[in-house]
Amino acid sequence: MAETWRRYLRFWRANVEQDVDDEVRFHVEMREREYIAAGLSPDAAHAEALRRFGNVEDVRESCYRIGHQRERRMRLGDFLGSVRSDVVFAFRQLARNRGFTAVVVLTLGLAIGANSAIFSVFDGVLLRALPYPGADHLLLVWEGDRFSGTTREDASVPDWYDIREQNHSFTAVGAFEEAPLTLTESGAEPERLTAGTVSHDVAGILGISPRIGRAFTAADDTPGGARVAMLSEQLWRTRFGGDPSVIGRVVHLDDEPYTVVGVLPAGVAFPSEHTDLWVPLQQGPTSTPRYNHTVKLIGRLRPDATVASAQADVGAIAQRLEAAYGANKGRGMTVEPLPDALFSPVRPALLVLLGAVGLVLLVACANVANLLLARATVRQREVAVRAALGAGTGRLARQFFIESLLLTIASATVGLFVATFGLRVLVAAAPADIPRVGDVGINTTVLGFTLGITVIVSLGFGLVPTFAALSLNLQHVLRTSGRSASPGRHHRRLRDALVVAELALAVVLVVGAGLLVRSFWTLRRVDPGFTADNVLHASLQLPPARYPQSYDNFPRWTEVTSFYDRVTQRVRELPGVRSVALASASPLEPGFTNGFTIEGREAESAKGQAEISTRLVSPGYFATLGVPLLRGRLLSDRDGTDAPLVAVINAEAAKRYLDGDDPIGHRIRFWGQWREIVGVVGNERFHGLTENAPAAVYTPLQQTPTTAVTLLVRTSGDPSLLVGAVRRELWSVDGNLALFDVGTMRAALAESVARQRFTMLLLGVFAAAATVLALLGVYGVLSYTVAQRRGEMGIRMALGARRREIVGLVLRRAAALAAVGLLIGLAAALAGSRVLAHLLFGIGALDPVTYVAASIAIIAVALAASWLPARRAAGIEPATVLHGE
Amino acid sequence: MAGPGVDLFQGTLDMLILKAVSWGPVHGYSVARWLQETTNDVLRVEEGSLYPALHRMEAREWIVAEWGVSENNRRAKFYRLTPQGRKQLRAQASTWSRFADAVGLVMTATSQPA
Repeated sequence: MAETWRRYLRFWRANVEQDVDDEVRFHVEMREREYIAAGLSPDAAHAEALRRFGNVEDVRESCYRIGHQRERRMRLGDFLGSVRSDVVFAFRQLARNRGFTAVVVLTLGLAIGANSAIFSVFDGVLLRALPYPGADHLLLVWEGDRFSGTTREDASVPDWYDIREQNHSFTAVGAFEEAPLTLTESGAEPERLTAGTVSHDVAGILGISPRIGRAFTAADDTPGGARVAMLSEQLWRTRFGGDPSVIGRVVHLDDEPYTVVGVLPAGVAFPSEHTDLWVPLQQGPTSTPRYNHTVKLIGRLRPDATVASAQADVGAIAQRLEAAYGANKGRGMTVEPLPDALFSPVRPALLVLLGAVGLVLLVACANVANLLLARATVRQREVAVRAALGAGTGRLARQFFIESLLLTIASATVGLFVATFGLRVLVAAAPADIPRVGDVGINTTVLGFTLGITVIVSLGFGLVPTFAALSLNLQHVLRTSGRSASPGRHHRRLRDALVVAELALAVVLVVGAGLLVRSFWTLRRVDPGFTADNVLHASLQLPPARYPQSYDNFPRWTEVTSFYDRVTQRVRELPGVRSVALASASPLEPGFTNGFTIEGREAESAKGQAEISTRLVSPGYFATLGVPLLRGRLLSDRDGTDAPLVAVINAEAAKRYLDGDDPIGHRIRFWGQWREIVGVVGNERFHGLTENAPAAVYTPLQQTPTTAVTLLVRTSGDPSLLVGAVRRELWSVDGNLALFDVGTMRAALAESVARQRFTMLLLGVFAAAATVLALLGVYGVLSYTVAQRRGEMGIRMALGARRREIVGLVLRRAAALAAVGLLIGLAAALAGSRVLAHLLFGIGALDPVTYVAASIAIIAVALAASWLPARRAAGIEPATVLHGE
Repeated sequence: MAGPGVDLFQGTLDMLILKAVSWGPVHGYSVARWLQETTNDVLRVEEGSLYPALHRMEAREWIVAEWGVSENNRRAKFYRLTPQGRKQLRAQASTWSRFADAVGLVMTATSQPA
C-alpha cells in the first residue's frame, strides 16, 4: 500500500516542517511510553525522554534546513527535467516538419542577417566613439560668404590669428589643411601621400599624444622652421614595418629632407580618412594675405562655453574683422561640432537603410507568423490532446515559446553567417567617402543587437500559437478528430491582417526604392557639361625644391612651364592619344575660388560680390573635355607667359555678372591683374551632378602656373589602357614624380554618385525582398482559403456555378487584400517619404509617377500570387469533393 | 550524559545508521533502540542527533524515506537503504575494519619501538 500512495504524496508539495515535527514527536512519545512501562510517572517519563533526545530545537532546526534544501533541489530538478522534455519535443516537432522549419529559418535568417549587417555599418560608422576624448567639445570654425551664400569655406591665416587671440570660448584654436606630398626613397617608386599640414596645437586640441616619439612643438611650427613629420600609425606599419627606430630617420617628401619625430596613435584619421602623415603648418600671422582662404580651423570648447556661446563669440569676431578689413567684407563665421561635420553627410542615408531593413524584418515576421498560424491549425489536435491531459495555458505557452526560441536561434545563426558575408559585400560596395567604413565589422554590440532581435522575435512568435490554442474549442476538436475543424473566424481575420500588413510594408519599401531609382535616373541624365567618355585623368604635384615657385617672378616659373610643355608634348605623341590638357583641377573637383571685379561693374564689386571658381587650364582643355565654345574664342598656344593676359568665362558667369552685355572685350580683375575676356564656354558642374554649375573663369596655365596639376588625356580607345604609357612618359621627363588619383573620367563621374547608387541599390534589394515575402504571404493565405473551402466550392460547382465564378472568388479575395494593403501602404508611404527628401534629386518625395508605379507593381504581385490557388480552385472536381465528404 | 560511555568519532554515526537501516525499513526510534541494544548501551548517542544524520543521508540519496504505520498504529517515517547507500556502507565498513585491525595490532604489540 505504501508504495502506491507514496507516489501521490508529491502531488501536494511535501510540508517539511510538519514532517519533521511528526517524526520527532513520534520518537519522544515512544520513549515516554517505554519509561512509563518501566514504572516512571508520566511527567518523569516525559522529562527523561526529552533529556535522552538532546536539544529538540537544534535538531528540528537542522532537519528543517536539510529538508528545505532538498525540496528546492528537487523542484529545480523537476523544472529542468520538464524544460528538457519540452526542448526534446520541440526538436522532434521541428525535425518532423522540415519544410516548414527550413522556410522559417531561411526567411528569418536572411532578415536578421540583413539587419545585423546594416546595423554593423551603422554602428561602425556612426555609433562608435571618435578616438578623441571629449569629441563633443571639438568644433570646426568655418568662414562663410554672405554674397554667394556659401557657409563652409576655409579661413585666412590672419583671421585665424585674430580668432586665436580674441575668442573667449576655446582652450585653443588650431589650423590645418591637407596637401599631397610625394615620398621619394632610392630604389622605390615615388609614392604620393596625403599630408595633414597642422599647427602644433592640433594634437593637444584633439587630445591625442603620439604613440611613439613626440608631437610638434611651437618651435617646429614657425615660418621656415625645422622640417619634421609625424607618421600615421598605418603608414608607419605598412611603409616602415612598425619599426620604432624610425624616430629620427630622415625621409624625402617633395625632395626635401624631413625628420620623423613621432608616430600618431592608431585610428586617428585627421584631417581626413586617408591622412598618411602630419607636417607642421608653419604659417605666421603675415604669411599669407587676408583674402587667401587656405586653412580650416578646429578648437576645443572651454568647459564654461557651449556651442551657442562659441557661435556668438566667433560671430562677434567676424563682425569686428569685417569692419576693420576690406578683404573680410561679407564674411561671417560659424562653428560646427566635429562629429556633425564628419557624420551628418552619411547619417540620413544610413538611418533610412536601417529603417528599411527593419521593415523587411517586420515583413519576414508577418510571413512567419502566418506560417505559424497555418501550422497551429494543423496542430489543433495535438494541442487539444495535451490540454485535455491537463497541460495548462502556461505550460502550453512555454512549449510554444521553446519552439519559437529554437527556430529563432537557428535563424539567428543563419543570420550571423548572412551578416558576415553580406557585410563583406557591403563594405566592398560602399562608396569610399563613408567615414570609417573600412573598420566596420561584427563586434559585441552587433552580436547584442542580433541577440535582442532574436529574443523579441521569438517572444512574439511564441504568442501566436498560444493565442491560437486559447481559442480552441477542445471538445469540438477532439470530437471531430481535428481534421475538418475550422480555425474560427478571428483566426482567419488575423491571417488576413498579417498579409495586409505585409503588403502595406512592401508598398512603403517599393515607394521608397522607387523614389531613389527615379532620383538616381534623373541624376544620371544630368549633363555634367563635359564629355566623360575616353578621358583619362591623373594628378601630379611638382616639388618646390626642383620647381621654384616664387611669387616675385610670377608667372615666369620657367621650370614649371617648361615641364608643362614637355609632358604635354610627349603624351600627345603617344599612339591612341587624341588630345592632352593640364589643369589646376579635374572637372569634378571644386577647385578654388577668388574674389574678383569686372570692369564697368565696379560699383557692384565695391558692395562685395560672390567669389568666382578659378580654373587654370592649358589650351587643350576644352577640346579634351568637349566643353563647347559659346562666344568668342578659346584659349590657345599664343596666350603664353608674355602675351596679353586673357581669360574665358563660363555661361553662368556671363549670365550672372554681365547679363545683357556681350562679355567679349570686358576685363576681369583678380590676383591684382586685369585680364581680357576673350570667350564664353559652357557650364561644367565642378561640385558634382547634384549641384548647379558655379560661375567660373578659365585662365591660361602659362600665364598662371601652378604646381598641383591634373593631366587630362582624351584617347581614341579605352583610356585605362594608356596608364602605363602615360606614366612612362612622365617619368622620362621627371623620374621622381608620383602620378596619383589615376582613373577614367567615366569612373570618376560614376564615383561622384556612388553614395546615391549605393543607397538606391540597397533599398532596391530590401524592397524586392519585402515584395517577394508579401507575394509568398498572399499565396499562402489564398492557397489555404482554397483548401479550406474546397467542399463549399465543389458544392457550388455541383449546383451549377461555372469555373470562372469560382476563380473569381479567389481573385476577388486577392484583390480585396491587395486593395486594403495598398491603401494603408500608400498612406504610410505618403507620411513617411519625408525622411527621404534629403536623399532625392530632381523629384519630390510625393512624386506621383513613383506612387502610381508602386501601386501597379503591388497589385500585379497580388494577382500573380493568386494565379496558382485560382487554378487549383478551378481544377476542383465536384464529384471527387462530394464523394470525399 | 550519565554513566560510563564512549563518544563517537565524527562520521562513525553515519556508518552505524546505514548498518541499522540495512535490515529493512525502520523508523528513527527503532534505529535508536537497535543501537542501544546492540552495543549494550555503551555508545551514548544523543538520540536527537540521529535525525539530522538521517535527513542528510536522505538528501544524499543513500537512504529513502516513506511514511508508513508503526507497530502501534502510529504514522511514522520509515527509512530504507538505496543501492547507493549499500555501496557506501560497504566502503565505510571496510575502511573501519582496516582501521580497527591496525589499531588492534598496535595495542596488542609485544615489541617496543626501536
